[in-house]
Amino acid sequence: MLKAIIKRSLPGFKLDVELSTNRDLLVVLGPSGSGKTMTLQCIAGLCRPDEGYIELNNRVLFDSAKGVNIPPGKRKVGFVFQNYALFPHLSVVDNIAYGIRNLPTTEATEKIKNLLALLHLEQLGDRLPRQLSAGQQQRVAIARALAPEPEIILLDEPFSALDTQLRERLELELLTLYDGFNGSMVLVTHDLTEGYRLGSRVAVFQSGNIIQHDSKEAIFGEPVNRTVARLTGVRNQMDGVVKSATNGNAEIYVPAWDAYLTVTVRRLPVIPGQRIVLGIRPEFIELAQKAGENVFSVTVLQAVESIAVTSCRFRLRQDTQGRHPLSATLAKSQIRDLRDGEECLIYLPPKQLIIMNE
Amino acid sequence: MPNDYLSPLLISFRTVLIGTIITFFLGIAAARWLARYQGRLKNILDSLFILPMVLPPTVVGYSLLLLFGANGPIGKILLYLGTSVVFSWPATVIAAVVVSFPLMYLTARGAFEQVDPNIEDAARTLGASEWRVFWTVTLPLAWPGVASATVLALGRALGEFGATLMLAGNIPGRTTTIPVAIYFAIQAGDNVRALVLSAIVLIFAFLSLLAIARWKGRLPKRRIVSQ
Repeated sequence: MLKAIIKRSLPGFKLDVELSTNRDLLVVLGPSGSGKTMTLQCIAGLCRPDEGYIELNNRVLFDSAKGVNIPPGKRKVGFVFQNYALFPHLSVVDNIAYGIRNLPTTEATEKIKNLLALLHLEQLGDRLPRQLSAGQQQRVAIARALAPEPEIILLDEPFSALDTQLRERLELELLTLYDGFNGSMVLVTHDLTEGYRLGSRVAVFQSGNIIQHDSKEAIFGEPVNRTVARLTGVRNQMDGVVKSATNGNAEIYVPAWDAYLTVTVRRLPVIPGQRIVLGIRPEFIELAQKAGENVFSVTVLQAVESIAVTSCRFRLRQDTQGRHPLSATLAKSQIRDLRDGEECLIYLPPKQLIIMNE
Repeated sequence: MPNDYLSPLLISFRTVLIGTIITFFLGIAAARWLARYQGRLKNILDSLFILPMVLPPTVVGYSLLLLFGANGPIGKILLYLGTSVVFSWPATVIAAVVVSFPLMYLTARGAFEQVDPNIEDAARTLGASEWRVFWTVTLPLAWPGVASATVLALGRALGEFGATLMLAGNIPGRTTTIPVAIYFAIQAGDNVRALVLSAIVLIFAFLSLLAIARWKGRLPKRRIVSQ
């Protein structure tokens, strides 16, 4: 169980976050420069908060009020650095052994053997880091962090240096490893889908603050505001006014389109007359065959094909100025070819529309 | 006659050896400290450490005389302890250390600054003390630079002339180092002596550079890319 309250001021940047995790995999999500790495460094004891309190499994690691600041090596916090930061002059075995030199030799040897096996590094014990592939280097970094049996492992963008295929395989490996690890993990990423795949809880960072700290489902399904929504991939956002709200459904008026939409209400209480922001992910917009509720006539502004999906920008017929286009990602298996300038119907499913605050 | 040649060689050898050892530790201590120090005094300390390199040797020598002389602050302390360094062998070491220190400091600091701080942090999270981080991570990774620094410092110590002459003088058999001996040999018209001593220094300097270059090559190489 980790509890961290961290305040740190730098010229032009202020970090002020409150983080907690309880034996789960916490994903820290946010753009570059939002304070994710600095937060991890503060938890690990590599940088000192101006003010704050950090506690891990009932051990106080840092308390500015009482002047407690446990050195990094005594915190039982494992750290996997973004560039892995392996010791380039030491072999794989010596890298892993670095943190357990206080163990008796036989015990240390046994443990290193187990870690090499766990991370599929058996054949590579004598190699130097520069003789390893990026994926292997990452495994060594994880093995090295696991060796002293930390109570929590912090991973700073561990997949950013890897290509897509390797990334997916190593993500699965990490999840397997996590299941066998008796502790918490905190993983920093700026990749939404990666965060969704790996995390059970998510903290969203923005300019030194945590703007939402909740379960994965809540973060992605019910973002509290525009910013969280944007950071978690809700690219379509429009201002709206609540027209009416009855058992579970709300009718929202969107002035930009001069249109009414039906929305399934999930968390926020909605009151008629209230100004809200309505959002929908590009992936949830569908093509429609005939007119009906939440169906709109649109013009294709631009269609870009990828391997499995087509990314489109639509202009609603009502949006004569073209100021509020919609982005949609449509599965190619579901649709026919779309051409720029073509007219078609789209459907915004009520369950996928998100109501949030400004 | 052979003793005439041997004496400055031995004095220089001892001076360079002791001087380089002192410079090595002082230099890397200062370099390591300032490589990560971010305080307000950084620039002042940095300039102070490099100063002896840009000053004329006579100014360095004169400053040392003022410091270590009978009326200087350190000289007074030494006098109180019943000793004095001016015009004695230790003065050659002091002069050698002061003039070679900036080279050691500058080159070693550059090498320490090149070490990826994440790698040092990794060692810290694995339980290493600052002392262990330095000896097992920072120094090995900075080693090629530190070795170059040592060679440069050694060369500078061997060639030291001006400050040595002013602080240690020219007392044959006690403070006459090779460069001082060569200067006075030429002054006295003893070209053979000047030539022989110069040749010895030249060969010695070349061989030590060669030896250190080979020795350096055998040590672990720095990681080329990180990130």
